[in-house]
Amino acid sequence: MLKGYPKTVVTKDGTTVLLRPLDKTDTEKLHTMLALIPEEEQWFLRENLTDIRLLERWMERLDFNYILPIVAVREDSGEIIGFLRLYRSPSGCARHVAHLRVTIHPQYRSQRVGSWMILDCAKLALEHGIEKLVAEFVSEVEEVAIKAARRLDFHHEAVIKDYVKDRRGDYKDLIIMVKTLYRDWSDF
Amino acid sequence: MTSEGESVFESTSIGRSVLYETPRGPLTIRTGWPPDSFDGLRLDAGLGRFPHYSSIIQRPESFKEVAARRGSRITLAIAEPNTVAGYLTCWYPAEGERWANLGDLMYEMGAIEVSRNYRGLHIARGMLELTLNDDFFEDKIAFMQGLSWHWDLEGNKLTAAQYRQILMKLCSPFNFREVYTNEPNVALRVENIMMIRVGSRVSPEDYKRFRYLRFGINQPA
Repeated sequence: MLKGYPKTVVTKDGTTVLLRPLDKTDTEKLHTMLALIPEEEQWFLRENLTDIRLLERWMERLDFNYILPIVAVREDSGEIIGFLRLYRSPSGCARHVAHLRVTIHPQYRSQRVGSWMILDCAKLALEHGIEKLVAEFVSEVEEVAIKAARRLDFHHEAVIKDYVKDRRGDYKDLIIMVKTLYRDWSDF
Repeated sequence: MTSEGESVFESTSIGRSVLYETPRGPLTIRTGWPPDSFDGLRLDAGLGRFPHYSSIIQRPESFKEVAARRGSRITLAIAEPNTVAGYLTCWYPAEGERWANLGDLMYEMGAIEVSRNYRGLHIARGMLELTLNDDFFEDKIAFMQGLSWHWDLEGNKLTAAQYRQILMKLCSPFNFREVYTNEPNVALRVENIMMIRVGSRVSPEDYKRFRYLRFGINQPA
């Protein structure tokens, strides 16, 4: 299902990074990375995978028919520095749509690791017949990610006002961004 | 090209050729065309300019220009008696292009096309096979950049995603694989693709230089 991996990319500072499917043996390394996500950000995560027990359960239930998980791994140390999930709907009517979630190690942000992971994911989606990639962002909290998504041709599709609350109870908007994967020349 | 029938291989001082029997008649695939050898050839009507697609080579004289480039190679599929049914051209990257920074290490599979009237006969595979069956490529990183705006999607009745898959299927038996790059043309659209074949004598150091260059870095950190 996931052919042609690992893929190699080089970050802005010259670090060689391998992109490859998540492996059952990655649990500990993945947990190490997720534990470094600042608490402020963890608050907004849809899945609480920073808890090792929940992460183990999530890994056990992993079904590549519905979730395509890719990790970015430093070639020299094997450290996981990025984690992308592509969620596919089990429903036939929405099988052409996939939801994207990306988590990047705090020290490797602004190194384009996330951008390469999203590009890789878009190619993967194309191979799986997916036509729309959907990503959700919390306004004011994920502005850097929103900017990066815009550079990768995601556009604002919708804004749901006051959809989430931060730790202090203040409302934040949810921004839904979509990237359409064009299928032929006429769409250009 | 076994599915189409018999083939006969011949090697001469100026190139190699294979004769195929196809459902559309006999066809010769030949490498090693000197610049003065294109007189009398004509392009099949399925190569040329169409409403949503134009061939890269639109007149036989263009082969002469390609052949005059340093180190270029041309492979043609010729239908009897002198009709070009397909072509493959390759060359060193031009000065000023990113890949030229690695000197003669990089070699580009510049264009490959089969006439609309001869598709489905595995001619592209035959041309690739004959071209790559040469020790020359063992010192090279051969690369191709598949840019979707050059693809004849209409003529093939394919989506860009399908065309990309076919390109990968065509090249992977010859040890080509997809690599990522921030080269602007390749990076412009998701379906675009860069594929490489690393020759057996390419050193790990040279491969590393290439890896960095793919991301616009000239010197490894």
